[in-house]
Amino acid sequence: MKKEVVNLTINDTPYELLVEPQVTLNELLREQLDLTGTKISCAAGECGACTVLIDGKPMLSCCTLAATVKGKNITTIEGLAKNGELHPLQKAFVEHGAIQCGFCSPGMILTAKALLDENPNPTREEVKSYLAGNLCRCTGYVKIIDAVLAAASQMNKGGK
Amino acid sequence: MFRTLKPFEYFEPKTIKEAVDILSTHDSGTKILAGGVDLVPRLRKRQIHPEYMVNIQQAKEMNGTIEDTAEGLRIGALASLRSIELSPLVHKNYFVLHEAIASIASTQVKTQGTAVGNLCVATPASDVAPALLVLNANFRVVGPSGEKIVPVENFYLGVGKTVLQDNEIIVEILLPKLQPKTGGAFLKLVRTAADIAKVNAAVILTMIDDTCSDVRIAVGSVAPTVLRVKKAEEILKGQKVEPKLIEAAAKTAAEEVKPISDLRSTAEYRRETTLVLVRRTLSAALERAKA
Ligand SMILES: Cc1cc2nc3c(=O)[nH]c(=O)nc-3n(C[C@H](O)[C@H](O)[C@H](O)COP(=O)(O)OP(=O)(O)OC[C@H]3O[C@@H](n4cnc5c(N)ncnc54)[C@H](O)[C@@H]3O)c2cc1C
Repeated sequence: MKKEVVNLTINDTPYELLVEPQVTLNELLREQLDLTGTKISCAAGECGACTVLIDGKPMLSCCTLAATVKGKNITTIEGLAKNGELHPLQKAFVEHGAIQCGFCSPGMILTAKALLDENPNPTREEVKSYLAGNLCRCTGYVKIIDAVLAAASQMNKGGK
Repeated sequence: MFRTLKPFEYFEPKTIKEAVDILSTHDSGTKILAGGVDLVPRLRKRQIHPEYMVNIQQAKEMNGTIEDTAEGLRIGALASLRSIELSPLVHKNYFVLHEAIASIASTQVKTQGTAVGNLCVATPASDVAPALLVLNANFRVVGPSGEKIVPVENFYLGVGKTVLQDNEIIVEILLPKLQPKTGGAFLKLVRTAADIAKVNAAVILTMIDDTCSDVRIAVGSVAPTVLRVKKAEEILKGQKVEPKLIEAAAKTAAEEVKPISDLRSTAEYRRETTLVLVRRTLSAALERAKA
């Protein structure tokens, strides 16, 4: 099959890649670029583990063909820490024990980032409803929601 | 479980005409791609085997614009579920559609998935379809012989089946203006918040003084397609709307549906809860129409 030329930016780095049309964004990230922070679990859009930000919006990399993201700006979990310093959401997840096995965490944190970018001061209910597409099978969500709210208040105080 | 997709040829037409030409040349084994939320998992599960994939997102006439026009609201076919849910125009004038989309849990599904893609999947459990049915929505469709308007009411033929040919593309959804004193409501019954409906119901009701001048009721997950329950509607039309009449209409609605038993519910339960959902949506729509 004819390959597609895909120019895109991933975590602020520009790439020019050749991909086969049937390759998903998830496979491109994990297998071609070794960015294995993005997970894949249900492979059907149900669990949110594969979430990445495309132009800032939370999307399912398992349901996205790599050929369709030409010119887009992708953020994966690897792109959140800056200069060796964790993002406030990552810190809050660590501090609140919002991570157990860690498999849902990249998708959870990226969805939470999209929420805080849209709505810097969400209520508990707003956090719950925004994260409804991300399943966690270990911690039970309370700590995750606590962590997102803590990160929000930290960031509103100007914390990094 | 398969992780990868089988190869296909990929097209990114720059115009709708080019898209229709590609779809018509390869007249079998083609698929139109929008958000991919439904399509990509189906490819992965080997449920469909298209040889040609046509991504319509780059065609210059395609967009996701939501705008008021003289005839009503125009929603471009690329509009994501979330952009429709968050649209102030939809919230203000077509609240039943807002409510229906708000009932879908996953932010990612709503951000990536289009309303048109949701409708084309033609599952009777769609939450968007009952809302569009009661809103008398139309699709503008472009195909090899030009353009046509298809009412959503005539769109569905069965589970997974619509009147669209493989080389026809939906370009926009059109929602006619509603009368003054019209209220709408949507409700669904689910096992867990993130699951699809066991039963859902949407209502649009117009009142003149105490009398119902017009009403449309649609239910989902209780027949091979989403369904208008027209006998129930007839009970209310031209009548003073009182709780007893709402109950009678809800009862009739429950007689009109043709539910099946599956992993989500038994047919019997679906029939019973159709009655409850129709009663509740009618009552809510009535309050909103009066407000
Ligand atoms: C986890 C999960 C939960 C969900 N929950 C719900 C729920 O609670 N309620 C609900 O109603 N839905 C639910 N859905 C369904 C979801 O809304 C749809 O899968 C999604 O909106 C499909 O849109 P898409 O743009 O991704 O379509 P695609 O997957 O790209 O396409 C779907 C179909 O539509 C056709 N198509 C798309 N656009 C056009 C067009 N312009 N013209 C002609 N044909 C076209 C395609 O050819 C394909 O056959 C859920 C889905 C998932 C994965």
